[in-house]
Amino acid sequence: MQLRKEGEMPITLVNPMDETPHAKQEAARRLANLFGKTVGLLDISKPGGSIFLNQLERSLKQRYGVVRVVRITKPTFTRRAPDEVIEELLRSRCDAVIEALAD
Amino acid sequence: MLDTGDRAPDFSFQRLDGTFSEFESRAQSRPLLLAFLETDCPTCRLSIPYLNRLWRELGEQLDVLALSQDPEAPTRELIEKAGIEFPVSIDKDLIITRLYDPISVPTLLLIARGGRILHSLNGFNKNVLNEIATTIAGAPFVIADAFDGAPDTKFGCTSRHLEPVSEGALDSAANPYLKRSGRASRIVLDDSIDPFEYCMQFGDPLPVIPPTIDRVEKMLTKCDLHPDEVIALVPPNYGAATVEKIAANAVMAGCTQEIMRVLITLVRAVCDERYNLHGVQATTHFAAPLVIVNGPVRNELGFACGSNVFSNVARTNSTLGRALQLVLSNIGGARPGGIDMSTLGNAGKFSYCIGENEEENPWEPLHVESGFKREESAITVFAGESPHGVSEHKAREGPQVLKAISRALATVWSYRVCAGIEAIVVMCPEHAKTLHKDGFAKEDVRRFLFENTGIPIRHFEGAEGEGTQNTNIYKQAIIDGESCYLKFLHPSAIKLVVAGGTAGKFSAVIGSWAAGPRGSQMVTYPIPRSN
Repeated sequence: MQLRKEGEMPITLVNPMDETPHAKQEAARRLANLFGKTVGLLDISKPGGSIFLNQLERSLKQRYGVVRVVRITKPTFTRRAPDEVIEELLRSRCDAVIEALAD
Repeated sequence: MLDTGDRAPDFSFQRLDGTFSEFESRAQSRPLLLAFLETDCPTCRLSIPYLNRLWRELGEQLDVLALSQDPEAPTRELIEKAGIEFPVSIDKDLIITRLYDPISVPTLLLIARGGRILHSLNGFNKNVLNEIATTIAGAPFVIADAFDGAPDTKFGCTSRHLEPVSEGALDSAANPYLKRSGRASRIVLDDSIDPFEYCMQFGDPLPVIPPTIDRVEKMLTKCDLHPDEVIALVPPNYGAATVEKIAANAVMAGCTQEIMRVLITLVRAVCDERYNLHGVQATTHFAAPLVIVNGPVRNELGFACGSNVFSNVARTNSTLGRALQLVLSNIGGARPGGIDMSTLGNAGKFSYCIGENEEENPWEPLHVESGFKREESAITVFAGESPHGVSEHKAREGPQVLKAISRALATVWSYRVCAGIEAIVVMCPEHAKTLHKDGFAKEDVRRFLFENTGIPIRHFEGAEGEGTQNTNIYKQAIIDGESCYLKFLHPSAIKLVVAGGTAGKFSAVIGSWAAGPRGSQMVTYPIPRSN
């Protein structure tokens, strides 16, 4: 590399990457077990999602003692979940939520 | 809820400085724009820059009062973060809200002198905002430009008094409608570092031109926008694409300074809600934004439209397409191996930009179909697969050319998938000439392709597969004596562009990603003469 001459500024770049401050989110506290818990299943509405989630719901209830499963579906998998869907999940007082898709 | 023509009831309210004021409709000397807002409603935040503009530009002719349905702390935070310039009061205990009973926020009511409601708007709507501005100004007045990157309309949120539970917490970090962001940071390189090697971490895996301060500043001289102005928040990470950051990525891609006005417009267009960049960038499908350039800008800046139009033929096409991809990956965050987990990807993710060959196009160019003038320049983005070639050198007549193209169209997405998809037909000049000679107007071409692109129903017998479950929504037609499902729902699902060289009867079809309001819609934006 050629060294810069005396008095010349070092090469300075304009940062081309994203520097938007984003909110830091802590991961939710993990559950020790699922017994007696309410679990939300968020179907992103891909064609095979319900088959997979039906199986998952059975397993959660029969094998892990989940008492209540709340099923919520996004209007479309192509976009973010709208606020109404998130609010519905919050209102349903789930202990955990599983977001799932299947094609 | 009160509506246009109703008399606005009187109320008293407390200003943020603690003083009390009255609204008495009979004593009102100027019209009042009353706005009900919530601090955590995205549509309210979308509306704020427009209300600021109304206040700034027409504030001498009207009073503006926004009533926040949330407590003082989040309201003050919203005022600061969203840069609200007009007066805001707290509607404590939602007393005024209950009096006016808006169903959603934002609700804007323009109250005339004397107290009659002249306009009412629930949610966001550019046309109604312009009507309100026009009423106040007494002459046509545009407050919300059709192509500023915001959607034409957006539903609001439920008014607080109608919510089962009030939750007024504002996400303190996110502030998506602030129009200014910070300047980009500077990276000082140690003498021992090769700037080209250092910049290999930025964007696509090919070498880039280091975005030095000098180069970025030169790029910025070609636009009148402030360097820290946010052009768009780029999904899926919603990073703020400031003019300066876009310029830095343009430098890296090898753009000339003149391209900035096209690139800025392109970033706005691709982040238009209708295009749904979030989905396009996060899908495992092949889709990549195909950029189509129309109008005089093609010749002014040297966009290739003729032979090799999809290849490495012209600096302008290649660097504009590359700059867009660098912005999407560096600012939007969709990188291969990260959020972008496309199964096979698309060579167009290096650069995917063509000009329409308007000189060889016997019909209206694409942007004219979208309502622009031929002498205007415009840019279109379409979430497309790679081009699929159609060679047809033997057909002497238009219908035979179109038959060949329709057979390629039948295969887009997947052979038995119909409806819910679109396609672009990139017609080569020789094929276009044959069709024109045979009297085909552009609409005739589209209709012929629509009516002749179908999948024989017998191919749906037997084993199920993708597309066989949705036949209830497919349209049926007889094509060449055979019962078929039509590939497309409507002729408008087939877009038509003329491009490529004058020798060779090779056209191409480009399949879409999921189309329509739930998928990605093609958008066209006008390119300004300068920024």
